[in-house]
Amino acid sequence: MGNDDHALIRAVLAGDKDAYGLLVERHSESVFRVAFRITESEADSDEVVQETFLRGYRSLADFHARSSFRTWIYRIAMNSALKTLDKRKAEASIPVVEEYDDGRPGIQLTDPAAGPDRLLLDREIEARRHAAMEKMSPTERLAFVLRHLEGRSTEEIAAALDMSQSSAKQAVFRAVQKLRRSLAPLWVKS
Amino acid sequence: MRHLTEEELIEHYFSEDANRIVVETHLRICGRCEQDYDEISNALAVHGPEPPAREPGYGRRIWQSIQQPLLPYPSKPQHRFFFVPRLAFAGACLLLLIATFLAGRIWERTHTRPSQAVTPQAEKERVVLFILDDHLDRSERLLVQLNHAVSGEEAAGLLLQAEARQLLADNRLYRQTLAGAGDPLLSAALDHLERVLLEVANSPGPLSDAEIARLEKEMSTDSLLFQIRVLRARVSSQQPKSEFSRKGA
Ligand SMILES: [Zn+2]
Repeated sequence: MGNDDHALIRAVLAGDKDAYGLLVERHSESVFRVAFRITESEADSDEVVQETFLRGYRSLADFHARSSFRTWIYRIAMNSALKTLDKRKAEASIPVVEEYDDGRPGIQLTDPAAGPDRLLLDREIEARRHAAMEKMSPTERLAFVLRHLEGRSTEEIAAALDMSQSSAKQAVFRAVQKLRRSLAPLWVKS
Repeated sequence: MRHLTEEELIEHYFSEDANRIVVETHLRICGRCEQDYDEISNALAVHGPEPPAREPGYGRRIWQSIQQPLLPYPSKPQHRFFFVPRLAFAGACLLLLIATFLAGRIWERTHTRPSQAVTPQAEKERVVLFILDDHLDRSERLLVQLNHAVSGEEAAGLLLQAEARQLLADNRLYRQTLAGAGDPLLSAALDHLERVLLEVANSPGPLSDAEIARLEKEMSTDSLLFQIRVLRARVSSQQPKSEFSRKGA
């Protein structure tokens, strides 16, 4: 698969524009998934996919044969998704995210299956998850999305983020730590 | 007994631990670490919304929406695997520019584009506008950065210089090609831009506050920025609205 990509890239760089179409077809869905994991918006993710492949085409000459196209295009997609996220935040001028620290009392769970309590809990979990994602640095967020949600290897993440494997691992670790801290008060009574 | 660190527990969750058996055994006999591990697993079980599935043919639709303005890479035999110098690409763009401008002046004609049918000429114009818009966009960003540059940020200063060098090479090609195109505003802007880029690219070190102030004053970078914005507005008003640029509006 990876070698096929390289053959297509060679064809594109030799003047066969349509060969790029095959690369787009092959990778657009996984690029969409990553974009969605970051933006959590379908419309924004579609735009990120278009922008990513447009940028990818125009910087294809900078692609190095030793890396994988998927990893390389992921990097472009993630930057583009982060930019979109920033743009949306600026547009909505979202108020500063509420702090969810360990000192804050958790929700008392009487019966997790019960209606109103369950709803309240779900909303609390979602708010805390969201707050944790906001607290992650861009690198932590990207590493977390790729490792945990998209199941990519540390090696691939390191390549996509242009860092060492141990730094990639550290980024995932810090992201998980933030998520855990943010949600910890909810588990006390369960 | 040494307890497992949070890092070890997270590694274990992702099955990345070097000594899996040892960790598993410890978790079986140590309530404290087991509880920690459960807490990590619980947190990681919390997911946001799942990406919705894309329709069949999604990739093809994406390709259709972006392929039009893309210029084929020059089809020269490549001896060096994968390496196409940036200038070769700019050179190909330049050839298209020449072809287009010899055929007439795009500025006047595009206002009266008569039909929906996409002629090869219209294709070329689109590419020219696309490339020019990109060049102006990058130049605009460089000038904005320059106008807001803060001394002491050495890395930012070096990046600015590297970008100025890249833009300078492209700008020369565009300026020379467009010199005879009969567009005084465009020619003047590219000319002005080249002088500023030269100063930035050739400055011996990262630009100091004083140098930036001098550039702003002597080379009136604000007015250049204004000129470029006017040009960009004109270029984008001539660019046919593709699905790409219209989406989400
Ligand atoms: Zn223990």
